Amino acid sequence: MIRRRIGPDRPIIIIITGVVMALVLLLIGLFVAHPALESGVAIDVGHRLLPPSASHWFGTDALGRDVLSSILLGSRSTLGIAFSAVLLGAGIGVPLGLYSAVRGGVMDEVLTRINDLLFAFPSLILATLFAVVLGPGSGATLLAIAVFNIPVFARVARSLGLVLVRQDFVAAARLAGTAPTGIAIRHLLPNVLPMVMAQGAMQLSLGIVAEAGLSYVGLGVQPPSPSWGRMLGEAQTFFHTAPWLAIFPGLAIALNVLAFILIGDGLRRVFGAKGLSP
Amino acid sequence: MKRFRRFFPGLIAALLACAPTFCQANVPSRITLGIALEPPNLDPSATSAEATQDIVYANVYEGLTRIGEDGTVQPALATHWDISADRLHYRFHLRSGVRFHDGAPFNALDVTFSLDRARRAGSTNPLHDLLAPIRSVSAVDSSTVDIDLSRPCASLLTILGWGNLVVMSPSSASTAAITPVGTGPFRFLTWRKGDAIVLRRNADYWGPAARLEQVTFRIIPDPSAALAALQAGDVDGFSNFPAPEAIDTLSKNPRLSVNIGSTEGETLLAINNARPPFNDIRVRRALAMAVDRRAVIAGAMSGFGTPIGSHFAPHNPDYIDLTGRYPHDIAAARALLAAAGVPEGHTVTLRLPPPTYARRSGEIIAAELQAIGLSVRIENVEWAQWLDQVFTRHDYDLTIVSHTEPMDFDIYSRKNYYFGYHEPAYDALVEKLESTSDPVGRHDLLLAIQRKLADDCVNVFLFELPKLGVWRHDLHGLWREAPLQAIDVTGAYLDGSDNIGADATQRSTGGYRVMVGGALLLGVGMLALRRQLTPRYVVQRLGILGVTLISASLLIFILTTLLPGDVATYMLGVHATPEALASLRESYGLDRSIPRQYAEWLYGMLHGDLGVSYTYRTPVVDLLVERAGVSAPLAALALAGSMVIALLLALIGARFRHRWIDRSIGFATQLGVAIPGFWLGILLISWLAIGQGLFPAGGFPGWASGAVPALAALTLPALSLAIPQGCLLARILRTALDTALDSDYVRTARAKGVGVGRILIRHALPNSLLPTLTVLGMQFAFLLSGAIVVETVFGLPGLGRLLFQATNQRDLIVVRSLTVVIVAAIVVINFVVEVLYRAADPRLRLEHRG
Repeated sequence: MIRRRIGPDRPIIIIITGVVMALVLLLIGLFVAHPALESGVAIDVGHRLLPPSASHWFGTDALGRDVLSSILLGSRSTLGIAFSAVLLGAGIGVPLGLYSAVRGGVMDEVLTRINDLLFAFPSLILATLFAVVLGPGSGATLLAIAVFNIPVFARVARSLGLVLVRQDFVAAARLAGTAPTGIAIRHLLPNVLPMVMAQGAMQLSLGIVAEAGLSYVGLGVQPPSPSWGRMLGEAQTFFHTAPWLAIFPGLAIALNVLAFILIGDGLRRVFGAKGLSP
Repeated sequence: MKRFRRFFPGLIAALLACAPTFCQANVPSRITLGIALEPPNLDPSATSAEATQDIVYANVYEGLTRIGEDGTVQPALATHWDISADRLHYRFHLRSGVRFHDGAPFNALDVTFSLDRARRAGSTNPLHDLLAPIRSVSAVDSSTVDIDLSRPCASLLTILGWGNLVVMSPSSASTAAITPVGTGPFRFLTWRKGDAIVLRRNADYWGPAARLEQVTFRIIPDPSAALAALQAGDVDGFSNFPAPEAIDTLSKNPRLSVNIGSTEGETLLAINNARPPFNDIRVRRALAMAVDRRAVIAGAMSGFGTPIGSHFAPHNPDYIDLTGRYPHDIAAARALLAAAGVPEGHTVTLRLPPPTYARRSGEIIAAELQAIGLSVRIENVEWAQWLDQVFTRHDYDLTIVSHTEPMDFDIYSRKNYYFGYHEPAYDALVEKLESTSDPVGRHDLLLAIQRKLADDCVNVFLFELPKLGVWRHDLHGLWREAPLQAIDVTGAYLDGSDNIGADATQRSTGGYRVMVGGALLLGVGMLALRRQLTPRYVVQRLGILGVTLISASLLIFILTTLLPGDVATYMLGVHATPEALASLRESYGLDRSIPRQYAEWLYGMLHGDLGVSYTYRTPVVDLLVERAGVSAPLAALALAGSMVIALLLALIGARFRHRWIDRSIGFATQLGVAIPGFWLGILLISWLAIGQGLFPAGGFPGWASGAVPALAALTLPALSLAIPQGCLLARILRTALDTALDSDYVRTARAKGVGVGRILIRHALPNSLLPTLTVLGMQFAFLLSGAIVVETVFGLPGLGRLLFQATNQRDLIVVRSLTVVIVAAIVVINFVVEVLYRAADPRLRLEHRG
């Protein structure tokens, strides 16, 4: 007996869940500009290490800063870095991949090899190298995550592009004398965009984890800008006296990652493509 | 699928090769002490690194005199001394019957050798400048040494007791960086890089033998890992615990005693006096008034630390309390800034070195300076950058640092010191003090010195760094006070004689097992697949592999050549002479052309020579093999764990397809994928290690201590890596199983009446494993990056820790070679996966690639 296959309604629910979560988190990120939050992260040694209460929902840290305010402010740097890095990576990777697919031949082979080379550099290794050169900080982190994303998007765009290139409408365009660049922009790009977005959501979730990990080991966002990863790093010695310091930033990371995974997963199911890297 | 089954015996053989032998040694009177910083090398005469002094002072090396816990000068290798009336001639009578650890007898020539080596031009000894008054050092006979001075030097006996002027033997001094040979009650045993340094009792010591048989100094740089290790009993104590906020928790622990003492560390908000607007005393005084020392001590040090008002230690009898000189007054500070013409919002840079006290004080002080209308930009720097930018090039506005040498107020009279303070009246005071020996006169001069520094407000004097000693309550004889940088264990002992410390000491042998295992695995794989791989295909793929590896090495070389800062300065410490720096550059080939450096590096790597580490002064290959003995088993365990998790969850989910249990698993794996591994690690430590005490909270005992402790130490790190990874794989496998279950052959099998379980295991699973394994290979890179962070969480001495240490120490050679090796590992794994995939899938094998 064959049971019911996954219905078409499921991906929509998944996307809606993810989008709602992400929207809430993003709205909070905008709301962050509110001066009340800025004053919440002001150093106030007199109110250090207060447990969660009505006035400080998530408690306060060793320097008397409100943990909730720090997390909300931290969302700006974490999401900002992840978004910019993924955009930058896609901005370079997608055109490269499409060009590769349309052009084919030696050029395609060379670009693919360069891609494979970049693929072998995990974002952490890249970040270490950039931190050595530029000094640790958001710049090195953003650059590392962006470079890490280039081959991912290039691969997605190329593999989808190769399928599209064989389609009749591309052949027709070619017969009509459209230049390869024109084909790539007018015919391939609109068709690969949905899957690029799905992959982008996935890469965002990876970018958030990478940023948090780098900040945790001290190579990422530098103080005084709040960062979830660094909050976790600083929380470890306080785990006995102030466990809330490690729990809430971790939850914030996990929720954000989950939201973008859900969006990516849902988009992927809607557009039904296979063969994307997870 | 038969091919895969043929793999498993090979896989098991390889894993067995990685497994360690059992050997456990229980010897009484051993302790393990935690230290925060790993020494760059163990030669105290060549480095100003505090971490080196901590380990070798009094324990391994001795000088003519030594400093006791109370700061007084005591006889050591000199039993007594005579001083001439004009205080220009010192005669030291040496102890007889003393031998170095290598058996060489100690005599007067060793003393002249050691002091002359420290004094000579080009010496890298940090105390080189202080020895300027010495005219000559000469051996009168084998047990008498004369030191003649050109001008009186009241502090000579004290300086001779400091750690940089210990006596070394000419025959072993050149190798002191890695194998120190001294005359002390402990001899150097081993140094497991990134993990521990072990000292063993010297049975032939001239004095009363040490009561501890063995002391292990375990390197735990992370304050949180330090706390975890102490609570888990992984270490027996910390001479100076790096996390003051945890002292409260620790003092409630009945197993531990907390011993709070003082150090010689004056912590300063150092000001660049030479740079406008700080050359205006009103601005410096405004900074002093803006800073609330009590808030800084409360926030950054959890209340530990004594406020100071000048550059002088409060426990010194000549100390005078000047903390009230510039009371905390924001309005007055603002008025001073306005009077000095500093505009509102003027930007100043605050460069902070890595120690916790500096970073935390920096955040508070930045906020306080903002309150008086300055705009503060914080820049966190590593020690190498700090030494280069702040200390050497004086390129800074403000910085926070602790000056830990005793009686070091003379730095304010040094020419071209980084404070940029030049005051002839102050120099005269210091000079007068050196030639004054009567106690009353000295006392008055010392008071004048303190007042002068406070009046000129050279720096904002913050607090005296405390020494937060925490150790087992039955461990005695460690220093509470720290009159100089040292962890003197010569008088330490445990209650009762059968106590066993926390560590075993044999050298790790995991490294070569891993390599043997890897080679074995590869060999078995190639054998099994020999028929599936055509020579043309293999040659083509190997060619691409070679080009990729060389391109990767070139990319890494170019990136790391762009780096700023000077490695040589860091290696030799802050007092290095230009000659010493030049000779170092030459010996490491840093003066050669860039292409030649790359060519030589590549050539070396092809011969298995990855260079010699700058900071460890050990071949990088040895470091890599040692660390791979931790990282490779961790990765293997995590990989195996994630496969088990994936198989279990996916099979259960598929067995109960679309029922609530399937949906719950789907939900759980979705959550699992989203949890960052290092956060999971933190949670696991607090729950299973500290809460339940089931696993060690951090650190790695070495494979030689037995498989059980080693595997126990790797369990939680492997779990934190395996759970998110396993959840991801489970989702992929589950999807693949879905496709398989809907296929025609499964329907046929069902029609034939085959059971659900059997269909799942025999038909659906084998066909779903292939895509899963491919993903697993692609995930290897993620696993590796995850492992790098997780190693930091658990304080494991693996490749990731090595990478971060090397990055922080700017050990270019290690960073370069390590990144190349990691990238090469990923390239090779991807290559193997691709070949396997091709070999396993006949459709791909037949297709010809362009």
